[in-house]
Amino acid sequence: MVMAIIHLAYSQQRPVTGTVKGNDGNPVPFATIQIKGSTTGTTANDNGIFNLSVPGAATVLVIRSVGYKAQEITVGESSNLQVTLIADNKNLQEVVVTGLGLVREKKTVGYATSNFATEQINRVAPVSMMDGLSGKIAGAEISTTSGAPGASNKVILRGYSSLQGNNQPLYVVDGVPLNNDRPGSSVDKKGVNNGGYDFGNNANDINPNDIEAISILKGAAATAIYGSRAASGVVLITTKKGKSGKLKVDVASAATFSNVGMLPTMQEKFGQGWGGTFILSENGSWGPRLTGENREWGAPVDGVSLTKPFSFVDDNVRNYFTTGKELNNTISISGGNETSTFFLSYGNIYSDGILPTDADSYKRNTFSARASTKYGRFSASASFNYVNKNAKAVSTRSESGLGSSLFEDIIQIPVDINISQFKDYKNKYYNVDNYFTPYAENPYYSLYENGNNLKSNRIFGNIDLKYGINDWLSVQWRLGADITNSQSKTYKAKNRPSLDSWNDGNNVEGSQRQEDVGYVRENSDYRGEFNSDLLLTANKKLSSDFTIDGLVGFNVNQREGKIFTSAVKGLAIPGFYVISNSPNTPVSQTQEFRRRIYGLYGQATLGFREYLFLTVNARNDWSSTLPEKNNSYFYPAVNAAFILSEALKLDDRGVSFAKLRASWGKTGNDAGPYLTKTTLSTGQIIDLPFGTLDFPFNGIPGYTVGDNIGNPDLAPELSNEYELGGEVKFLRNRLGFDIAYYNKLTKGQILAVPTTPSSGYASITQNFGKVRNKGIELSVNIIPVETKDFTWTLNYTYARNRNTVEELPAGLDQVVLNFAYDAKFVARKGDPLGVFYAPVPATTPDGKIIVDATGLPKAADTDGYYGTSQRDFTMGLINTLRYKDFTLGFSFDWRKGGVFYSGTADLTYFVGNALLTTYNDRRAFVVPNSVMQVGTDAQAKPVYGENTIPLTDYNYDAYWYHTTNKGGAYSQRIIDKTFLKLRDITLSYSLPSSAARKIAASNLMLTVFARNLFVWTPEGNTFIDPEVSNYGNDLNSEFGEFRSMPTTRSYGVSLKVSF
Amino acid sequence: MKTYNQYILLLLSAVLLLGASCKKNLDINNDPNNPPLEKATPYVLFPPAVMSTVSCAGTDGAVIGGIWAQYWTQSNASNQYKTIDAYNIQRTDYNALYTQMFSGALQDYSLMLKLCDSLHDYNFGLMGTVMKAYSYQILVDLYDQVPYQEAFGGLNQLQPKFDRGDSIYSWLLRDLDIALSKDLTVTILDENAAQDIIYKGDMDKWVKFANTLKLKMYLRMVNVNPSLARTKIMELINSGAEFLTDVDASYSTFKDAPGQDNPLYESNIRSLNTTTNIRASYTMLSWLQKNKDSRISKIFRAPGAASGVYYGINQGDFTSLSPIYNKSAIYRQTAIDTAYLISRAETNLMLAEADERYFGGTKAKAYYDAGVQAAFQQLKLSADTFLLPGKVYAYPTGATFDKKLEAIIVQKWASFPGTHALEGFLEQNRTGYPKYSPVYSTDPSYIPGQLVYSRNGVTGAGKFPKRLVFPDVERSRNSNTPAEVPIYQKVWWAL
Repeated sequence: MVMAIIHLAYSQQRPVTGTVKGNDGNPVPFATIQIKGSTTGTTANDNGIFNLSVPGAATVLVIRSVGYKAQEITVGESSNLQVTLIADNKNLQEVVVTGLGLVREKKTVGYATSNFATEQINRVAPVSMMDGLSGKIAGAEISTTSGAPGASNKVILRGYSSLQGNNQPLYVVDGVPLNNDRPGSSVDKKGVNNGGYDFGNNANDINPNDIEAISILKGAAATAIYGSRAASGVVLITTKKGKSGKLKVDVASAATFSNVGMLPTMQEKFGQGWGGTFILSENGSWGPRLTGENREWGAPVDGVSLTKPFSFVDDNVRNYFTTGKELNNTISISGGNETSTFFLSYGNIYSDGILPTDADSYKRNTFSARASTKYGRFSASASFNYVNKNAKAVSTRSESGLGSSLFEDIIQIPVDINISQFKDYKNKYYNVDNYFTPYAENPYYSLYENGNNLKSNRIFGNIDLKYGINDWLSVQWRLGADITNSQSKTYKAKNRPSLDSWNDGNNVEGSQRQEDVGYVRENSDYRGEFNSDLLLTANKKLSSDFTIDGLVGFNVNQREGKIFTSAVKGLAIPGFYVISNSPNTPVSQTQEFRRRIYGLYGQATLGFREYLFLTVNARNDWSSTLPEKNNSYFYPAVNAAFILSEALKLDDRGVSFAKLRASWGKTGNDAGPYLTKTTLSTGQIIDLPFGTLDFPFNGIPGYTVGDNIGNPDLAPELSNEYELGGEVKFLRNRLGFDIAYYNKLTKGQILAVPTTPSSGYASITQNFGKVRNKGIELSVNIIPVETKDFTWTLNYTYARNRNTVEELPAGLDQVVLNFAYDAKFVARKGDPLGVFYAPVPATTPDGKIIVDATGLPKAADTDGYYGTSQRDFTMGLINTLRYKDFTLGFSFDWRKGGVFYSGTADLTYFVGNALLTTYNDRRAFVVPNSVMQVGTDAQAKPVYGENTIPLTDYNYDAYWYHTTNKGGAYSQRIIDKTFLKLRDITLSYSLPSSAARKIAASNLMLTVFARNLFVWTPEGNTFIDPEVSNYGNDLNSEFGEFRSMPTTRSYGVSLKVSF
Repeated sequence: MKTYNQYILLLLSAVLLLGASCKKNLDINNDPNNPPLEKATPYVLFPPAVMSTVSCAGTDGAVIGGIWAQYWTQSNASNQYKTIDAYNIQRTDYNALYTQMFSGALQDYSLMLKLCDSLHDYNFGLMGTVMKAYSYQILVDLYDQVPYQEAFGGLNQLQPKFDRGDSIYSWLLRDLDIALSKDLTVTILDENAAQDIIYKGDMDKWVKFANTLKLKMYLRMVNVNPSLARTKIMELINSGAEFLTDVDASYSTFKDAPGQDNPLYESNIRSLNTTTNIRASYTMLSWLQKNKDSRISKIFRAPGAASGVYYGINQGDFTSLSPIYNKSAIYRQTAIDTAYLISRAETNLMLAEADERYFGGTKAKAYYDAGVQAAFQQLKLSADTFLLPGKVYAYPTGATFDKKLEAIIVQKWASFPGTHALEGFLEQNRTGYPKYSPVYSTDPSYIPGQLVYSRNGVTGAGKFPKRLVFPDVERSRNSNTPAEVPIYQKVWWAL
């Protein structure tokens, strides 16, 4: 009888539906629903809705989702269940966005992901979304390339693999790729960085306050489905959306103040002059010992000279800079009902950097509107974003005959001359005619008289339409566009030292400063990206043990741009900047491009009993930039996740969670546009040692065979990567480890490889080379203390990447990627990608330095190795201490190893300002451990003996300069780039919700913070923060810096209120 | 399952349809910014190629030549050309000259000549051949060996072999003879004539240029192959060939505007922050002063502080802080200075030498006088008073051949400062004039005008520079680059 009743009960199956929500009211996708005591169950869909047949009202369902505490619920009589899961704080963020904006449980993916929520991203109120994440992700090097507001961000995931300098990740916003170009910024051309302007990269335009979460996908298995541009990883951005419930208003407001950070340490002993002699017009400190006595200095004007003490000026360079101010405000309104939601936000940044005036400033307005609606099986959502940007950036490179570089002007001023006084740059002693030296310009002149302004308008957004064909199959079309239009104007003043003035050659050295002829450049820059994805997605439980979800899709992506530049040198009316205000013909150039990709892709995940997941994906692309015969390429990937803790029920044995991951994947990449054919070129086609000759030349048109050989046989570049890893958590999640090992080989890189000039060309676009990156990433999370009132959390990350160039094109032993003077940044077989070679001293077989007839080291015939740009390892440590409503956080970022070229070191050595130039107290010395040629032997081979030629006043300075001490100077300039930074400190106070409610707020948080408060560099680097670069934000930037803008440290306060 | 299959079918057919249109839609990879190679004509290629040659010879070539021929020296108050003045040139220093010459100038001549062949345009064919020979000669004279037969292979030959300098000379001379033998009477279209930026399509002048270039190249061989030089020069002159005795091969329509001006001015003045790098070498200055040569004020400019007195810097003494050096004279140049390829002065002086060598010297004085006169005329001066019997530059009619040759070559040397300065250095290598001084120019026994070993020379006393080292751009990319040769080793034709 009992049997019969049970049988009856089972036969009385009835369907129930339910919705799983979190305690924040949001649906929890993909929760598992299991009938207690059986293996029967189902999985909720991405909106948290599930359908299940239950045997009766007494049935108990167990609802689980990672990140939440398991919940049991009795079905009862209702056929519509509402389940609220309570977040399990320790496992927050365990739902990840994976391929194409699809949300999946983290446990189902077989590769490493890092996820950050809005609080983490915005803790220190950054202008750019990646700024707050420096040093916090194992395997991601995130840097800001200068302290200027809005400066470019550099994000490198798992090392450099592309020689062509395309190593930035692909940014994807809500499933649609984002343009990350750098409109208006200087482009490197043959080692020349015109003007060195940096207006930031486009990914910085996103308002960080609009971001709900960022997921970082590093490996090929994770990124392959994104297509060609995902080879260097993907940064997935999920924006904030409206939620059903009452209207919500969020306000985030921050004010930040910045000061200049690390500056070159100057020597304090010797003053203006050269060769030990005081010389009034010199731009260096190679003069006599500082005495403190009053001396005349500078140009005499009307026969009268200024006087000042001949003594060191403290904080001289530092005093040039002012306090930067930044205001960052965002207000958003969101809400919705069961079927529709909306989100509106307005953000405003006003940032004026550390230079006097607003020559370094960044103003940004962002407006976002997002909405979604559902109607039966049909749902639609749309997002619209508008960004308006107004930026000014100073020139970090001198442009010959046009104007100087600001930082060059500053750091070459003798240590006894007070820089700040020059602010009065029109004063008769400090003006163009009588500034103390003809070799540089007053550093306030260019600040006030030269400048630029970039105005940019950008619209990006998407439309997403979805139709559920049945309960497990749906079709989705997502259309996105990203359009940036920017205009910039750059102007440089015309100035010429008046006839017979001090700087016209009427100084003690008879040296004349070349006039600046005046300059205007108008630049109009359009970039557009259009993307369409048509997706068919399936999510089905095959049996009680097996689930399957998958998709197939078709992608069309088009990128295009048109950059028009017109510039004229020489102005008719000074101070008036239009192209026609010149006797000269403007040089105009248009760069137009368009490229298109079609991609067909598919992905399927097979799940077994909630603990074994296997994902297979594959994509085939057809690209317009490759030759027709090679334009199709296929790349598959597979990954597996095995949740040990679930399979073996380890929960009871103190292991809260354990998972093994394995993946293998391929990614493909196409070429840049127009590389398959050789062309003619015109314009600035004749490079002189300085300057160019331009065609049409005096009215005569002309074309020359382009320098680059187009290659009709180009093939796509392919990477292969496998990854192994695991995650384990002990002691109720209080101790967690995540470890990954990866090994990636990139083959057939597409690069303009330098060729011998006698081939008739300077370079050829070629597939070549192999670069391997392998490494390990470790993150450890520890909660040493956890009580009701006090929690201490530690997050530690460690990453070590080993990079090797395994192959180069036949016949080449190296490819020069970048250079300054004779310091070369190269790819060499067997070395890491990006190593330094430069002249070294010639030595005898027993290692003694051979000097030339002047006593200076002779350069050896071949260059020597100076080190790699790659790190030994990077480490991050985040401490978070919460006491009641207060939270204190601080994080360290340590990047160990590697070298960089410092142009700041070069110049401060040259002018005798650098600390080390007081070597031997500037008394005569013989180059240590050196010999000179004393004769020849019977075979006419040189015979060496003791070096008896001291370097004295007259050529002491030559020892510190690269043209005069070619062999020895580069070890002074290529220096260790290790640093340890205290990235941020934050102290937050959250008003208890009971108190918040009294002011009608649901939430209030006040934070005081500091960013980059402290930088430590090793002894060899007394010059500049090695994170900076004015060589862009990719591989080239690893070369170093050329008298770049220093970094800043900043302090601020932020307030976040929700109503 | 049925509906599922239908969807798959639908999707597949959609993909196939799209696939068909894809092919066409992917054919968008034609550069809209630069014309394809097939659009090239000899007429658009020629002007930039000529300006490339002029620029290579006229910037790096001129500065190296001008410092090594000791017209100029590096200012002690700045740095730009210290490595040249210290004979410390390394393989990475003058990549630009080599690169520009090969991939800027010669590559375009080479394509131009192919196009001329297929168009049967022998006029531009001669122009291209002359300019190619002129450009190649500079490379051979500076590097001794460079790729020739395997050069300009593009994709097909990325590791060209080097050829001997004398072979290259012979091939260039053969090409000149062939180009000269063609029918040059076809009228040139006006629009094409405008593209001949040297002579505006005047083929008579091009023939003179070709003949003069042949003369120059054969004269280079007098040390290594005297009999060939003799035969060929006599043959050339006896054939009644005309030379550039009455017209220069030059470009003179520069404009005082950025990118449109004399390349040495653009590079050394307009595009540098200090305009006073190139100062008067005491070597040339003392010679001009000794001879009271009126050219001094046209070649040099005494700065304000010097109160009209011309001071020179002893060659290579850039580390000195001598206050006199601060007043040293500056090389005077303007944006519109003529850039000479072969000057009238040079031509006449070459003919004077040839006449002395092979024709008994009967016409040598006339050529010499015309040459010196032309050299002065270049600077809008007259040499009349200097050439009169008994005056400083009078031709030493009765003297030995060596004395006469010295007079000829020294006058030629004095005619070159400017974009043509390289030739002064090369001719010194060929003839040994001006002579090397046994003492430095500060020594009381120093004879003005004799070349002294640089004060900061790194090669060792007396080891004057004779060539350039193979540049890094070639060595690092072409495994066929010959072994390094020190810069004090002479090239194949040198003395």
